[in-house]
Amino acid sequence: MQISLSAQHVTKRYGGVTALSDGTLAVASGEVVALVGANGSGKSTLSKIITGVVTPDGGELILDGQPVTFAHPHAARARGITAVYQELSLIPDMSIAENIWLTHEPLHFGLPVNRRATLDRTRGLLDQFAGVIPVLDPETPVKDLTPDAKQIVEILKTFSLDPRFIILDEATASLDSQQVNRLFDLIEQWKRDGRAIVFVSHRMEEVFRIADRIVVMRNGQTVGDLVHAGASEAAVVALMTGESADADAALAAHRDDTHVNGTGLAAVRLQVRTLTSQTLRDVSFDVHDGELLGLGGLRGQGQEDILLAVFGAIRHGGAIEISGRPVQWKHPKDAVDAGVAYVPGDRNTQGLLAIRSILENLQLPSWAKYGFPLRTSAATRDAGQAATDLSIVMAGLEAPVNSLSGGNAQKVVIGKWLLRNPRILLLNDPTKGVDVGAKAEIYRLLGELRQAGTAIVFYSSDDAELLGLCDRVLVLHDGVIRAELVRGDSLTRSNLIAASVGASHGSIQ
Amino acid sequence: MIALLLAVVLFFLGGLLQPGFVSVAQAINIIRLAAFLGIIAAGQTLVIISGHEGIDLSVGAVVTLSAILVFRIVNGNNGMVIPALAVALAAGALIGLANGIGVMALGIPPLVMTLGMTGIVQGTILVVTQGQMIGKAAPIMGEAISQPLLGPLPGIVVIWLLVGTLMWMLLERTGYGKRLFAVGVNRETARLSGVRVPVVVVLTYMASGVLSAFGGFILLGFTQNVFLNLGTPYLFPSVAAVVIGGTVLAGGKGSYWGTMAGALVLTLLTSLLTASQLPEATRQIVLGVLLLALLSVYGRQRALRQ
Amino acid sequence: MSRMTLQRILRRNPYLFTLGLLLVLLAINWMLQPNLFETRVLNGNFRTFVPLMILAVGQTFVVIGGGIDLSVGAILSMVTAILVTNLAPDTGPGGFLLIVGLGCLAGMAAGALNGFAVAILRLQPIVTTYATSFIFSGLALWVLPRPGGTVPKLLSQFYRRETPLGLPLGIYIALALVLAWWLLRSTRYGRYLFAVGGQPDAAYATGVPVNWIRFSTYVLSGLIAALAGVALSLGTSSGDPRIGDSFTLDSVVAVVLGGTRLSGGQGGVFGSILGVIVLGIIRNIISFANVPNWWQTLVDALIIVVALAAPGLVRLLRRNR
Repeated sequence: MQISLSAQHVTKRYGGVTALSDGTLAVASGEVVALVGANGSGKSTLSKIITGVVTPDGGELILDGQPVTFAHPHAARARGITAVYQELSLIPDMSIAENIWLTHEPLHFGLPVNRRATLDRTRGLLDQFAGVIPVLDPETPVKDLTPDAKQIVEILKTFSLDPRFIILDEATASLDSQQVNRLFDLIEQWKRDGRAIVFVSHRMEEVFRIADRIVVMRNGQTVGDLVHAGASEAAVVALMTGESADADAALAAHRDDTHVNGTGLAAVRLQVRTLTSQTLRDVSFDVHDGELLGLGGLRGQGQEDILLAVFGAIRHGGAIEISGRPVQWKHPKDAVDAGVAYVPGDRNTQGLLAIRSILENLQLPSWAKYGFPLRTSAATRDAGQAATDLSIVMAGLEAPVNSLSGGNAQKVVIGKWLLRNPRILLLNDPTKGVDVGAKAEIYRLLGELRQAGTAIVFYSSDDAELLGLCDRVLVLHDGVIRAELVRGDSLTRSNLIAASVGASHGSIQ
Repeated sequence: MIALLLAVVLFFLGGLLQPGFVSVAQAINIIRLAAFLGIIAAGQTLVIISGHEGIDLSVGAVVTLSAILVFRIVNGNNGMVIPALAVALAAGALIGLANGIGVMALGIPPLVMTLGMTGIVQGTILVVTQGQMIGKAAPIMGEAISQPLLGPLPGIVVIWLLVGTLMWMLLERTGYGKRLFAVGVNRETARLSGVRVPVVVVLTYMASGVLSAFGGFILLGFTQNVFLNLGTPYLFPSVAAVVIGGTVLAGGKGSYWGTMAGALVLTLLTSLLTASQLPEATRQIVLGVLLLALLSVYGRQRALRQ
Repeated sequence: MSRMTLQRILRRNPYLFTLGLLLVLLAINWMLQPNLFETRVLNGNFRTFVPLMILAVGQTFVVIGGGIDLSVGAILSMVTAILVTNLAPDTGPGGFLLIVGLGCLAGMAAGALNGFAVAILRLQPIVTTYATSFIFSGLALWVLPRPGGTVPKLLSQFYRRETPLGLPLGIYIALALVLAWWLLRSTRYGRYLFAVGGQPDAAYATGVPVNWIRFSTYVLSGLIAALAGVALSLGTSSGDPRIGDSFTLDSVVAVVLGGTRLSGGQGGVFGSILGVIVLGIIRNIISFANVPNWWQTLVDALIIVVALAAPGLVRLLRRNR
């Protein structure tokens, strides 16, 4: 299997906005190239141009020495070029097997689909992730799967095409560390097969683990092509941001605040007792004024259910008290009225009103404040203030929120709650797929909220964040709190990992 | 905006095809005819903005029911107009409530739920009236609607402008309006931002029922008479007016000003065709082609490939 | 049977509610009309169901593909008009097939116009097919200005009287429709249809020819509406340029009763056929139960709404238990 593919000085404009001004990337057989850059730097657009989803305005693609143009994703696929997309390309109502083999179903005598062969081959593919995901029936509808399983089906769907060239666009964003390890084993295998791989990710640690070369993009331009061995993480981040902002520095800066802000004397703001739901079994904990409580563990162990239950968004059992007053919420509206805020895990489907303005997105929970008829000038002023506080980069408050980059869109999701001065803030993996600059901004904000006394419950799939930010971390496994790790004592990386995989208390020092 | 421009262009085009078409009297006449459609399409606008295939196919039946109720209750008596209107609006709200519950609580697709409601309303009318329309419109209703109120503008036009202003207020200057748009774009985001989605949707279908009932009341003032299919001809045009006015059928985006312009465009088209003295078959074909052309100007959806 | 599997069966076969309702309605109908299951009566009943049954199959395709076709009734009228104006009482089988072919071409052309507007121009299906229905009704009026026309006697008699193996011809037509559906479903085209209706963006990114599939559903629906027109002309022996108007919305109701999701990507033809039979039996019962004329519309609508609400009601009750 041999392939060499390069994109040279590719450009793309959407209306007046330049998404890509100079996309350049070259990959050959047996190579893993990492493509990194902040949100909106043009990585996704470049990926989509290579796979024929988007038509470029200029520049050229060269495949095996010949210039090519792809009119459809189909055309690129016919040449062995595929991608695992960031926005999933699965059909929710169709089964795992139907999804994986869509467009290249095994057929009987050329016409009817060979169902048995489809199911057998699907099982064979799922076996590659045996042990890190539950055993799955190939006929399960994709909509019933957890996000990590969906992501894995997506990867297998691409692999079922036996491609020569694979782009993995944020393919690890929903995976836990064991699943990532398994994927990396597969990538090594693909390299040996002579395939070419482009790995797009925000996680520096993963990039440095798997990549042979690192291509950096900024503002729609390729600004660096580094050989892994000679590159430092700081150098890559500096190229990405154009300045020397550093994620770990931001974490460190925040950590200083936390020590000032001890929780020993603070009152209990949120008390949860024997919480149960479809995934939770008997979860109890307290959160104090100004405390940042982390939720850790592998993905899908019930962390999201804790947040949703406290927010009144799912059916649950058990007792919840806010500052000593028992509450029984039937709808998120009740929680919002009581000063609880929730930043959901998927901002596009749960956090934003895509085609509406930034103003309307920021003010959605707060319109009641502005009376009748709405005092729109006051609402605009308040939203403008919030946008400034969060340094949201935008054309104006009236611009649709889907014109923003991922990091800025996430700031809008957080900003709509800041306008309400929340007493309790629940965050569901808020930095997922967010660039380094916006991450630092979010960390700073959490610090300020804590100073103001807000109690924060924070789920993150990034262990570094839990270790760097939180006062305490509850590690969940299978709907149960496996360990409570306290800063300055038991909160260490090794304890976090041990508890995540369900190790007993004894092995945690 | 484009729709309004188009309405003006069509009007003057009418002058080319039909000498004497362009006159103030004719313009007012067109606006008056469009007002009925426009008021009936107001509720449709709200329902379509609420998204999730939201559409109200019961507006025609509600218009008929409301007109029949008012016709009976008023029975030629000016003093009974306000109570009759109240009863009609309440009936509209009740039908909207049933639609909203069917759609939200029982998960029936709006298209078939409101279609079924049309059957129920028409069936009820048949059972109660046994086909006999007893009653009489009150003289004051005809006067309020037809006679000049502000300068040369008849009452109906003033009422329509008032409805337009109230609709703008409702959509752009109330919490309900903001929440309605949110519900139309993304119900999960709305719920997780503390919006009671079912309440907003049910209220929207109720508003649609009330506005259609008001449309029936106004229409009765114009026709002075009721019959079983009084509202039916307004059903699909009400959807078409909303779409031509730039409101997105997928929900979450739109305005009532657009719908008003859409109603004008549609009314102009049908008036021009009626005046053209073409055979009916040709008229229908031309109307279909023109509607298709209008939609291709406004109604285009997002492309899969960018 | 455990609750989990029951839920799963219901989810895979969402028409089960309608099937249950059908059995109840059949029992009621049988009590009111004891000779219901005699071949002659059954044949007569099925014959009146057939045009809507065929039409609903086409509607099902379009709906699964994520669209809706509100012009099927007008296409049916148009094709009926073409048939009855071109056929003579003594037209032979060869001439008949030729003219039916012509009607089918007209139906496909009409569907192609819908498909072009929806798939290529990307217009909203509801209003688009509403607009084109004016064109097709206009054409029907133009071809056949007033009800009338003829159909070869021999053929219409065959169509009305033939009952192979003592079963109504309509049942064979229904079986043929279901069989054709199962065959189509198991092809790659069938998978594409569900993918396009379920998540067009994802289908496109996967390499499914989304626009072509959408286009094809409307052409198929046009062709099928033409076939429904053939069945209707044979059944009534004459044409009426407005005859199809009442069929359009009924076809949508039948599709929904059959468990096909109106937003696309889920459903099947078998359910739609059940839905059509339910609608037919309801009307049969109303006419045999001596329901007073004035009550018929209301009873009809109430039963339909209750049938539509049944799955939702069951879900509500289960959740609150």
